Amino acid sequence: MFDFSFHAGLTPRFSSPACGAQQTEMITAEAGLRMLRGDPPRVTMEVDEDKLVPQGAPIARLRTAPDVCFVAPMPARVARVTLSRGHRLSEIVLFHEVNGDVISHDICVAETEAGLRRLMQNSGLWMWLDRRPFGGMPAPDERPGAIFVMASDTAPLAPDPRLALAGLEESFSRGLHALSRLTDGPVFVCQQPGPALFDGASPNGRLRVVEHGPHHPQGAPGLRIHALFPATLETPVWSIHAEDVAHLGALVATGILPMTRLVSVGGAALREARLVRTQPGADLRGLTHRIVQPGPHVVLSGSPLDGHPAHWLAPRHRQVTALPRLPQARPPHWLVAALNRSATPKPMIPNAALDQSFASALPAAAFVRTLTSGNDETAMRMGILSLLEDDVALADYVLGGDLHLPDVLRAMLDRICVEFAA
Amino acid sequence: MTRGIWTRETIALLLMAAYLPMAVLWVWSGGTVAFQRLGLAALVLAFWNLLFLLARAQPISLSVVITAFAIAMLAPEDLGVFRLALGISFGAVFGELVFGGWGRNVVNPATVALSFLGFGFPGFDWPDFQPPMVWAALAAALIGGVTGILPIGVLASAALVAAGAVVADLLPAAAVPAAAIVLVLLVADPVTSATTLLGRWLNGALFAGLVTLFAVGWQGAAPVQYAVAAALLTSLAAPLLDEAALAIWYDKRRRRHGRS
Repeated sequence: MFDFSFHAGLTPRFSSPACGAQQTEMITAEAGLRMLRGDPPRVTMEVDEDKLVPQGAPIARLRTAPDVCFVAPMPARVARVTLSRGHRLSEIVLFHEVNGDVISHDICVAETEAGLRRLMQNSGLWMWLDRRPFGGMPAPDERPGAIFVMASDTAPLAPDPRLALAGLEESFSRGLHALSRLTDGPVFVCQQPGPALFDGASPNGRLRVVEHGPHHPQGAPGLRIHALFPATLETPVWSIHAEDVAHLGALVATGILPMTRLVSVGGAALREARLVRTQPGADLRGLTHRIVQPGPHVVLSGSPLDGHPAHWLAPRHRQVTALPRLPQARPPHWLVAALNRSATPKPMIPNAALDQSFASALPAAAFVRTLTSGNDETAMRMGILSLLEDDVALADYVLGGDLHLPDVLRAMLDRICVEFAA
Repeated sequence: MTRGIWTRETIALLLMAAYLPMAVLWVWSGGTVAFQRLGLAALVLAFWNLLFLLARAQPISLSVVITAFAIAMLAPEDLGVFRLALGISFGAVFGELVFGGWGRNVVNPATVALSFLGFGFPGFDWPDFQPPMVWAALAAALIGGVTGILPIGVLASAALVAAGAVVADLLPAAAVPAAAIVLVLLVADPVTSATTLLGRWLNGALFAGLVTLFAVGWQGAAPVQYAVAAALLTSLAAPLLDEAALAIWYDKRRRRHGRS
């Protein structure tokens, strides 16, 4: 039978030069760390400015959870540390030191679950976990109801995780085994149909491979979680990228956390697109150096749908998008402006494109109306706790961006966090 | 930054394109009188929309043209300027503008205006439509369905139930053109019809069922009259159908995941 849900979703096309399958290793000369959203965390600095640090060495620790470290993604010299009031982390900038050392962690502790958690937190891998509801990295002692390993990415111009995992099957398998010790629930490996990504049977029957279709947003973690194991206030769900799981496998085997990830650099403002292996927090100007077209452009960390203008590659992002900066539009005639200006954004009209932009996993129009009307309880019943900004970015794009759905969703999540989860 | 195209005004433009074959056929067969009615309806609607723009900062939408066309096409004949203007004003203000303009309304303003005219001035004749108009309505349904602006579920289920009723000799063939036009113009309106998958199928089936019921049981009513009445009841029931579909969905998810 023809499976409609497999073909649900959209494939928005963004122009980008052709990209070969060739991967180049590229560690940028600078790297930076800046929190993506929400309240910046309070930190204790471990090193001062102008000190040399080996790769993987802790630079700062969370005040609330001293085991969770921000680590150096490459051997580096600490160039600048900016803390805002109350020791809140604003930005850390590092300069690459060629031929620097690499920190090796003690892997004996990884035998126990507490030791494994501490190893992940000390090595900086904890930051690569994403939790729902509300997003962000999980609390150090949180036990998730399920873990989603995203071995597929349907966002436009995204790199194929299968390319990133090529040759890492053994590490990936080991990483999955390690992950499954952090939860009593299932560990889902979300992938598109294709050859098996790891060898070996499931350790305890909790490892489940789930397949989905090729269109966005079927590969968005939020919609997978919504469909398979909805997150609630009591049972949080984690998601992590498959490549990071392979790195976890390498970490528990060797004590060294590999710090390069496959990142695609694309977008209409480039002369050529490319796939690079680079460090988290890489300098986006460095990654697009020599391949941007002349003229004004803006570089986003993330996909063209959900990316944001940034200087550094965000901790969980695997995409860099360079878009031409459009010239400032002429202000409209005062009368036209007056006629078009409204107190509230123009409403959404239900249509088939909107239904597809949630991959038919949600009653799309009803959900958007619930979001924009601020009805927290109905939104929770519909499954807002499984979703984050990136998961509604496609719907916002499809509707022309008037409604600012990601911002509305974040405001609602913040409200729910205060009112229900306190 | 690039943006998607499915804004309110894009959909209004596409709806106008979908209804264009009907409009051309109707003006061509109706001549000057039809054109005058359209002009009057557009003028009254423009006045109220402008008033709400100035008083409440509600931007005007191109959907005004669609509403004007639906009212002019389906309103009772020979009403005179005053009655027609009164009915259109009531429909526009209480059907749409007090809710915040097109996209926030719960009933189609044209449906409200037509029901007001039908119940308020019962002595006037309703327009009669010839079979060629069905083809124009079919073209509208096709354009709307392909571009995704008209809910396919509503159109398909209404067509299926109506076809069944015609075969079963319950729905007279004379009622089909009026029902098809009302379906395309008023019932399948993307804003006020149901939005869930199951809700849409129920919505269309309910409309066709009500039309059949009125055709059988409402003695002396014109096809357009009972089709409009069925459209009003259907659009009032649409939120309920959506709620029912959502309740089933919540229940299914609760059983599958053990929580909502």
